[in-house]
Amino acid sequence: MGDLLFEMSQWLYTTPLNEFAQRVSESRLSGIILSWFWAIPLMQTVHILAIAGTLVSVLMLNLRVFGLAGHATLQETAQRYTRVLWWALVFVVITGVGMLFGDTVRNLLNSIFWIKMAVLVIGVVLALGYSQSLARQAAGGGQIASPSIKVAGIVLAALWCVLILAGRWIAYAPS
Amino acid sequence: MYPEPTNIWERIEYSSFGTTIAESTWMFPTFEVLHVIALLTVIGTIAVVDLRLIGVASKEHRVSLIAKDLLPWTWGAFGMAVITGSLLFISKAHSYMINPWFLAKMSLMVLAGLNMAYFHRTVWRTVGHWESDAPFPAAARVAGWTSLIFWVVIVFCARAIGFTLGIYY
Repeated sequence: MGDLLFEMSQWLYTTPLNEFAQRVSESRLSGIILSWFWAIPLMQTVHILAIAGTLVSVLMLNLRVFGLAGHATLQETAQRYTRVLWWALVFVVITGVGMLFGDTVRNLLNSIFWIKMAVLVIGVVLALGYSQSLARQAAGGGQIASPSIKVAGIVLAALWCVLILAGRWIAYAPS
Repeated sequence: MYPEPTNIWERIEYSSFGTTIAESTWMFPTFEVLHVIALLTVIGTIAVVDLRLIGVASKEHRVSLIAKDLLPWTWGAFGMAVITGSLLFISKAHSYMINPWFLAKMSLMVLAGLNMAYFHRTVWRTVGHWESDAPFPAAARVAGWTSLIFWVVIVFCARAIGFTLGIYY
């Protein structure tokens, strides 16, 4: 597995992405971020807190969907936590882009970074479908989530854990 | 070959358990991922209660019910964070114990715990009397704000550890 990830990273160096990453890393914004030691830790702090927001939203939605917790109706729970999920995601993306400028080459030419991006896109699409299905069912007065919503909820929670795993493993990726 | 330990932290770090984790290519990152997931769950669930206490979110829901739903998850995740955090600590005990950000993180976690314990032994006892009225008593709002600030700073300290490990001797 490590060899495959290493080869993927090496291949990324042969693509136009390499030149692009070098150019971005020499940009003014990168220079500003790198000139202050605490810029990256501060952005990472907001990034982590935003991920906590997305994770707890998925957790709360799932707890209600599975009837494990949640005193509110399915509709109230869906409205409340999907809003938190999307706002938290906005902060995840903004701080993620900021951090990308702070360490462009190590991220863009890293196989695990792209795995993380793929998981993020799949996760967002699934979250969109999940929240819409939940809202539709809740609007119809249903209080017990359908099996497909329950499956989507489990997959979404698993994807979020994979996203966190990939985020941490970027630092350990062979390159 | 590791040098002869000169204090208890080096003894822990150079133990066979500590060196096994430190030398493994997958153990430290894996425990770190589990630690992050656990800590995010702790912070996220605590924040939901804190934001209700300060009157920012979930205003139409009773805080006692929100806490009842979330506290088992907070404690479960906290248990996992302690176990995984201890495993991470063992592998670099000496480096952590001379790092001011690690010491700050641990101190703030103790303070956050004391804040929660004090809140639960005082204002929370009468939650049934005040949770239907807005705004909540000042003591409840102060406890919410204090907890939020503590946990945000704890996350910052946690990240600062990663950026400063090895620069203190």
